[in-house]
Amino acid sequence: MKPNDIPPGSLSLLILNTLSRHGEMHGYEIAESILHTSGDVLQVEEGSLYPALQRLLVQGWVSAEWGTTAGNRRARYYRLTAAGRKQLATELSHFHRIYGAITAVLQPA
Amino acid sequence: MRQLLRRLGMLFHRSRFNADLEEEMRLHLELREQQQVAAGLSPEQAHREARRRFGNGTALRERSVAAWGWSWLESFAQDTLYGLRSMLRSPGLTLVALLSLALGIGANTAIFSFLDALMLRPLPVKAPSQLVILGDGDEGGNTDRYGSTTLYSYPFFSQLRSRNIVFSEVATVFSDNEKTHGIIDSRNQMDFLAPDLVSGTFFSTLGVEPALGRLFTVADDTTEGAHPVTVISYAFWQTAFAGTPDVLSHTVKFADTTFTIIGVAPPGFFGITVGHAPDLWIPMAMMKSLPAHHNGYKDNFSQSNLIIGRLKPGVTHALAETEINVLYQQIIRGFPDAKLNDYNLSHLQRAHVTLTPIATGISWLRHEFSDPLKLLMGVTALVLLIACANIANLLLARSTARAREFAVRQALGAQRLRLIRQLLTESLILALAGGSLGIAFAVVADRMLLRMISGGPDADLIPIDVSLNLPLLGFSLVVTIGTAVIFGIVPALRASHVEVTGALKDGRSSANAATRNVLGKVLIVAQVSISFVLAVASVLFLRSLVNLTHVETGFPRNGVMLVDMDSSVLGLKGDDPRMLAMFSQIEDRVAAIPGVHGAGFASFTFHQGSWNTAINIPGTAYNDAINIKHNVVSNGYFNTMQIPLLAGRSFGPQDTATSHKVIILSESMVRDLFPADANPIGRHIYIGKDPNPKNDVEVVGVVKDVKFDNLQEHRQYIDYVPDAQRGWGYGTLAVRYTGDFNIVSKDVQNAIHSIDRNVPISRVTTLDRVIERSITNQALVAQLSTFFALLAVFLSAIGIYGLMSYLVSRRTNEIGIRMALGAARSSVGWMIMREIVLLVVSGIALGGALTLATNQLVQSLLYGLKPTEPLSLLLAIVALLAIALPAAWLPARRASRVSPMEALRYE
Repeated sequence: MKPNDIPPGSLSLLILNTLSRHGEMHGYEIAESILHTSGDVLQVEEGSLYPALQRLLVQGWVSAEWGTTAGNRRARYYRLTAAGRKQLATELSHFHRIYGAITAVLQPA
Repeated sequence: MRQLLRRLGMLFHRSRFNADLEEEMRLHLELREQQQVAAGLSPEQAHREARRRFGNGTALRERSVAAWGWSWLESFAQDTLYGLRSMLRSPGLTLVALLSLALGIGANTAIFSFLDALMLRPLPVKAPSQLVILGDGDEGGNTDRYGSTTLYSYPFFSQLRSRNIVFSEVATVFSDNEKTHGIIDSRNQMDFLAPDLVSGTFFSTLGVEPALGRLFTVADDTTEGAHPVTVISYAFWQTAFAGTPDVLSHTVKFADTTFTIIGVAPPGFFGITVGHAPDLWIPMAMMKSLPAHHNGYKDNFSQSNLIIGRLKPGVTHALAETEINVLYQQIIRGFPDAKLNDYNLSHLQRAHVTLTPIATGISWLRHEFSDPLKLLMGVTALVLLIACANIANLLLARSTARAREFAVRQALGAQRLRLIRQLLTESLILALAGGSLGIAFAVVADRMLLRMISGGPDADLIPIDVSLNLPLLGFSLVVTIGTAVIFGIVPALRASHVEVTGALKDGRSSANAATRNVLGKVLIVAQVSISFVLAVASVLFLRSLVNLTHVETGFPRNGVMLVDMDSSVLGLKGDDPRMLAMFSQIEDRVAAIPGVHGAGFASFTFHQGSWNTAINIPGTAYNDAINIKHNVVSNGYFNTMQIPLLAGRSFGPQDTATSHKVIILSESMVRDLFPADANPIGRHIYIGKDPNPKNDVEVVGVVKDVKFDNLQEHRQYIDYVPDAQRGWGYGTLAVRYTGDFNIVSKDVQNAIHSIDRNVPISRVTTLDRVIERSITNQALVAQLSTFFALLAVFLSAIGIYGLMSYLVSRRTNEIGIRMALGAARSSVGWMIMREIVLLVVSGIALGGALTLATNQLVQSLLYGLKPTEPLSLLLAIVALLAIALPAAWLPARRASRVSPMEALRYE
């Protein structure tokens, strides 16, 4: 893992969480949001958002609809579905458990 | 489920999907670019930076598509399309491959469908594997011999049924069921029907349920003559009664007895004999009421029934056999009328009843056709192998030509496995297309084969089901995929194994072409050797058939008409004076028809079965191992058949029921069985063992030997007795005639009906046809093996031609140089030919060795020649060379005509 790469498998968690916080977003907005929220630490290979989004679409965790951006461009907007919300909760609790455990191990005694 | 719908939706809107993805990615790049410009980068730098941060667009698009999980289908579709395109690019090759596959797979499927129907398919009854038959089930007729272990009397069956503890149920089937004429309802014509006599337990033993009404019970078969009932077959219900639901109120009348239909057997049920489909079943207790008036229901030693049993669960075969053999001795010795003299006892002691499993039923067809069918199955499998070798060779040649394409693709990052998969997909497409064609071909071939096996265009079709069914389609599918793998895998492995740099650098003339061709050459040698084996076999079978058709029968086989009539419907016994009078009137009247040179009856004409016993010739030792065939004939028979009288006299009006009993013997009987140099005429002999006056006959004549049952048989001992002294309800009239068959046949039938209009005539044929039909299986083997051998040789020739053309094209360059350096055309041609001649000769040598090693397999199917006979080998060699060498010569000649300039310029 190069510095500032995101841990494998967590990209979908980041996307789901971002969508749950902001509602509807298109791909570029999701990328920007992740980048800014992490204080420019998490460097996503931006294009890899798209295969990840397709995976979420297949699972039915997000839905997509074409809309228009502020700059009057056509863009595909993604939003969380009910199943996506449930999945996010599961993944979050899983993440917190693991993260908590790792933190506990790393804590100086 | 929803997910599947979403994924399917994506599959069907592929172009929309791609466009959407494209647009959204473009938007992303543009927005990032704008943002970078806003951050102060130059437009060019911004463009580069946006792309750098985005990543590899093509790969990302591929991954996005892959997320939907259709990539396997995608690459399969690609391979398929690509395969179809490359097949269409070389239509000639594709056509040859398809045709040879279709013929190969079709022939295998067709032959297998017969093997399946005759030998492999279980009876359509409950748990057929529990069923056994007493003895081997291979006899039919009636015997009073002690120690009979296949044919049993009805009283024996009754006792066995009540006394055994190993069978859950036992049934018996009359072994000598004959077609006879009966009347359906009160229709005003007679129909030729096939009734089977069975015990009341028949259906319950087999465990079948009626389609309609009820089946027999024990009560239907307890009192002789009491229950005129019948169960009809499903097919008979459909054809004779048009499937009417009120069929249970209908009747079938035989002789004087009207049988009420009480039920319909389930569809497809035919009993236990494969290839015999009775129209209806009648309880044993009614046997006397059928036209043949069988009189064995209460006779302890009228042994004419087969007995089948269903083993109780848990009873082993060995245990059952032991128990049945104990019972067998007890029951037969316990019959009050058993003649337990030393002779009979010794036969009884030697008798051992084997129990034969009949899960696949019994069938006389098996004896005749199982060997030929197995042989043909082997032959067709070999033909298919040749076809595979051919296609492998063609694909190999093509894959070598495509080596560059594959090298390029591998250089561009295609995985090896992916390339193999693509080539195998192509093979599979070819095989599946060939397989479907093959199945269509098999359907047609099955019908032709059934015709051939049944004995020709004028014979009744044997009722076996050879239509396409699930196991059969499974078989074809396995064969198809098997062939695809066989002919596809080698080229695929080879093609994917190219050395990338080498192949890219190489031009048309590859330096290592020689090593690549080794496999192709091995395939050619294999093809030639298999073709040779098949060619030898077909020559053997053809010559064997020719030998058979030239066998001396003892009578001129042309110009004899055989008229089958059913005199049993008259309800008279064979020795009834009215019956005798009728036959002699028919004989006289038919003989007087213009164009008819003689007419005569016989109990057995050629290939009609036999009645045989031992005879007792005073002055010689009695030998019961020598069976004499007896034929009851009318006065005009010898004259009609033109069987020459060698000594004494023929039968005439002086031989009557009251005159002294006379007999005419065949010449070898006199030569082998009578004391040497004794004049047989006037001697007295006994038919059977006992020298009692009832059996005493006087020899009045000697006639020439004739073939009796088949052409292959060795010399038969035959004697003839006159009808007047031993009445026989004849079935066949022989008529020697000249002129038009149809006209004479009509006149003969009219003459018969003018004597008695109630005698149905079931068939008119010729002796010639009967003889031909008796060698149906030899003809079948000869014709089909010749067809397949020709096909094999032809396919090999295509293979040789293909390989040669390929070799020539690979060596055009070399040939050009040689010729530029002064080589003669002929020597160039020979250089090419030499190679192929070597291959063909080694193929023939290998084939010769194979032939010698396997000749025992065909020995039993040959007549009058040995499998190792040199003439057949020679003929096969000539035939093979005559086809293979021209196939090689054409490309060689093309090579020798290459213009050196052109060849060199090409590079």
